[in-house]
Amino acid sequence: MSRMLLKGGRVIDPSSATPDLVRDIAVHDGRIAEPDAAAAYDQTLDLAGSVVMAGGIDLHTHIGGGKVNLARMLMAEDHRERGNPIALPANALELASCGGCAPGTLATGYRYVEMGYTAGFEPAMVPSNARHAHMEMGDVPVLDHGAYVMLGNDELFLQLLAEGGPEMRNFAQIRDYTAWTIHASKAMGVKVVNPAGISAFKFNQRKLDVDEKHVHWQVTPRQVVHSLARALKELGVPHPLHIHGSNLGVAGNIQSTLDTIAALEGLPAHLTHIQFHSYGTEGPKKFSSAALQLVEAVNANPQISIDVGQILFGQTVTASGDTMRQHANSGLANPRKWVGADIEGMAGCGVVPFRYREQSYVNALQWVIGLEIFLGVRNPWQVVLTTDHPNGAPFTSYPHLIRLLMDRSFRDEQLARLHPEVAANCALKSMTRELTLAEIAVMTRSAPARLLGLKDRGQLGIGAAADIAVYREDHNREDMFRTPSHVFKDGTLVARDGRITATPVGGTHFVEPGFDPIIEKTLRRHWQDHGAIHFDNVAISHDELCRCCNGGRLLPTACFEGSA
Amino acid sequence: MTATAAVPSEVWTCPFCPLACDQLGVETPAATGRFSLRGGACERAERALGRFDGAPATPTVDGRPTTLDAALQAAAALLRASRQPLFAGLGTDVDGARALYPLACATGAITDSAGGEPLIQGLRALQDRGQFTTTLAEVRTRADVIVFVGGLPTAMAPLIGARCGIVDSQLAQRHVVMLGGSAEDETTLAGWAGPGVSVESIALTGDLFDTMALLAALTAQRRLPDAPPALAALAQRLHQARYGVLVGAPPRLPAQGALIIEAVHRIVDQLNRKARAAALWIGGGNGAATANQVFAWLSGLPVRSRAGPHGLEHEPHAFDANRLLNGAAVDALLWVSSFDADAAPPATALPLVVLGHPAQAAACQRAGAVFIPVSTPGIGCDGHVFRTDGTVLMPLHAVRRDSLPTVADVARRLTALMQAEGTA
Repeated sequence: MSRMLLKGGRVIDPSSATPDLVRDIAVHDGRIAEPDAAAAYDQTLDLAGSVVMAGGIDLHTHIGGGKVNLARMLMAEDHRERGNPIALPANALELASCGGCAPGTLATGYRYVEMGYTAGFEPAMVPSNARHAHMEMGDVPVLDHGAYVMLGNDELFLQLLAEGGPEMRNFAQIRDYTAWTIHASKAMGVKVVNPAGISAFKFNQRKLDVDEKHVHWQVTPRQVVHSLARALKELGVPHPLHIHGSNLGVAGNIQSTLDTIAALEGLPAHLTHIQFHSYGTEGPKKFSSAALQLVEAVNANPQISIDVGQILFGQTVTASGDTMRQHANSGLANPRKWVGADIEGMAGCGVVPFRYREQSYVNALQWVIGLEIFLGVRNPWQVVLTTDHPNGAPFTSYPHLIRLLMDRSFRDEQLARLHPEVAANCALKSMTRELTLAEIAVMTRSAPARLLGLKDRGQLGIGAAADIAVYREDHNREDMFRTPSHVFKDGTLVARDGRITATPVGGTHFVEPGFDPIIEKTLRRHWQDHGAIHFDNVAISHDELCRCCNGGRLLPTACFEGSA
Repeated sequence: MTATAAVPSEVWTCPFCPLACDQLGVETPAATGRFSLRGGACERAERALGRFDGAPATPTVDGRPTTLDAALQAAAALLRASRQPLFAGLGTDVDGARALYPLACATGAITDSAGGEPLIQGLRALQDRGQFTTTLAEVRTRADVIVFVGGLPTAMAPLIGARCGIVDSQLAQRHVVMLGGSAEDETTLAGWAGPGVSVESIALTGDLFDTMALLAALTAQRRLPDAPPALAALAQRLHQARYGVLVGAPPRLPAQGALIIEAVHRIVDQLNRKARAAALWIGGGNGAATANQVFAWLSGLPVRSRAGPHGLEHEPHAFDANRLLNGAAVDALLWVSSFDADAAPPATALPLVVLGHPAQAAACQRAGAVFIPVSTPGIGCDGHVFRTDGTVLMPLHAVRRDSLPTVADVARRLTALMQAEGTA
């Protein structure tokens, strides 16, 4: 039994009836409790002058699995300090771990926690790589974690879709297969990456528009997106389909993005790293911001949410399941090398190092587009703050990004340093909006928790998990969000002034939608004829998950009552 | 794969080669108590299964049997006395590697795998230029041209043909090419020919380096008037393939094998401009690739690294286990080999700790040596190892649980002993 009182902080909790109020918070055995004047507290912290928020939740960050480890092995230069070894941690609680854009799992956990984050979600778990992904996430200290499993490029899904025809006569089978895949891989949701495009690349197709047919299966990305979104809706999976759309990075891809939204026909979905999908073809370089069109679509479709995938300048490495697009972009690799793979009749991956430059017209415009989207969407509950770590920038740049969003004069200073044509002509230069602390709290904890169906996280109501970040008020928001004074995970102090103070093992979030087990007959036959692993070895049991995740707690999230 | 017809009710994953096959089973007839393979044949698996027949091994210190606790104390004392230990072999599963990393940090040890050199050759090629690879299911279902570079890796991975789908009927027609190869390889290759499978053996032009350089030039459609017609035809065939796969085995490559690995990647890269192709590498067995993956994800750095006085360092050349031992650059060796009974520690007079296969006991009986027999994942305990293609982490299931500690158990206890010393 431990009791703690956090006294007099400015509590910003957008999920509550009093979203911004100076008040006390009590913590009782790792949960938020009603402050009780008569109670004896083991510890009382005076937080006058501090801002108190729930722990941050990153809903899209590449923190574990095959392509992340390939990125680490590829980016040897990320693991040296100008040719010298990286200094060992001074803190005895930390094990040696390094890397900026491709950090080790240990460094990933330490750096997130020091910034006040307490959960991160790996967005691109390949079904055949699920054990590996869970192992890596289990080795990210402190953070709770979960993953979205990739579907929509696996040959079986495309085959079923082709067999069912446009009217999806076999929809129940598709839905059961979706649920089974979530169950087998212990996922928190489903992500589709370049719908049908990764598979199409295996058949040597080099691009795939939303209504273009996969050369072998003769199905379209529109069909893939719609069927998966509908399956998840019917299964009651809280996180709607997580979509990395068609034509990532291509000038003019706003049309694909709008077509994808239309393909959903009103079904809920989350469009990820939307900055990379909001490009027009105007202007002298035939590359322009389509942020306005995107913002209009998001404002008009409240069932859609987005994360931005903001780019920030400097060296990073892009790690993606989108083999088709990564192959197309591999010529831009800096340094000049890249890794790709076709994976197991299910997926692919591409890892391309990238250096975003302020003086590059394209990169400068990408930076602008991301910020225009952040500042343009009216309802912050539809927007999640991400850099698509490490694709737009490493997650450690979040405090800088927050300052860009909250401080117009700082933003304008940065804008002035960019490619002059971009700086002179962009809509961003006349955008005056400065996001409030409450809006930042929505985008970094409340909205991600709601979008994932995490009822007791991302908020500070009575009974919620005591994942808490305490920031000292500072008009320099970058400094403020860089180093919270206190970070609590389930009530345990895990970081104090940027120093790790405890390293509990995080828990694993996953969902368990129901399915008709008859589907396993089809799957067993498919694995026997097309797989390279015995069907009985495919699914991860609870016991095995526990082992993969280093003994962390299993945190199943309840599904909604589906219509199925 | 024909073996899938007789599916055993409980799956067994073989931990003894890079393919980590799970279509065969293990039987333990009550009469003999010996393991035998069920549902198919694999000489490597059968040989490895035959190494679990001995009497139960006990820990020894200086050649004298002792308790696990005493052996751990002796091992900790030995590591404590070392100024620069080397952790080598690294024949373990994910759990073992996860537990060895904190011990390596606590002792400042350098790490290297048994067979570290081919692993590093592959890694160097990756770090310098990148790669484009594929996996067994892709090869099985889609590869219509398969090229084995430098012969067939059947001694390392006996079922490679089956796992590449060469003897099942997923594709109407496959063409299998062998570049270089022994007389025995020729026989194996000829045995693969049949309905739906054509085979071709192409002799080397010069050595394998020359041959791959020629093939790379031909694939890039450079004009080479004196090029051997068979190689020119192969380049042509790869351009026309639906999915061409180049299969190589780094442990079988000559010194400077990274150059051949790079040549394969260059060919694949060239083909992928207009057609589709990929590489498949066979290697990293006995836990070598697994330890490398785990260390890379925990620390950011692969094997041949240490958390030393200068910081976190990766030295792909200087931290070669053999080089360190030969140059007397280390003063203690911790050797891990939980899968391969034949992977004995290198001959050395240094203080030695072996976390080994029980059958290695006899080889580790000398003054200054601590031997701790450990359970073999996939035989005496569960576990996980990476399959050769690096994207599938295979679950290993115990056949008969034993009472031996796992590598992870031992490493965790040693770390605790080191830390207790540190705070004492």
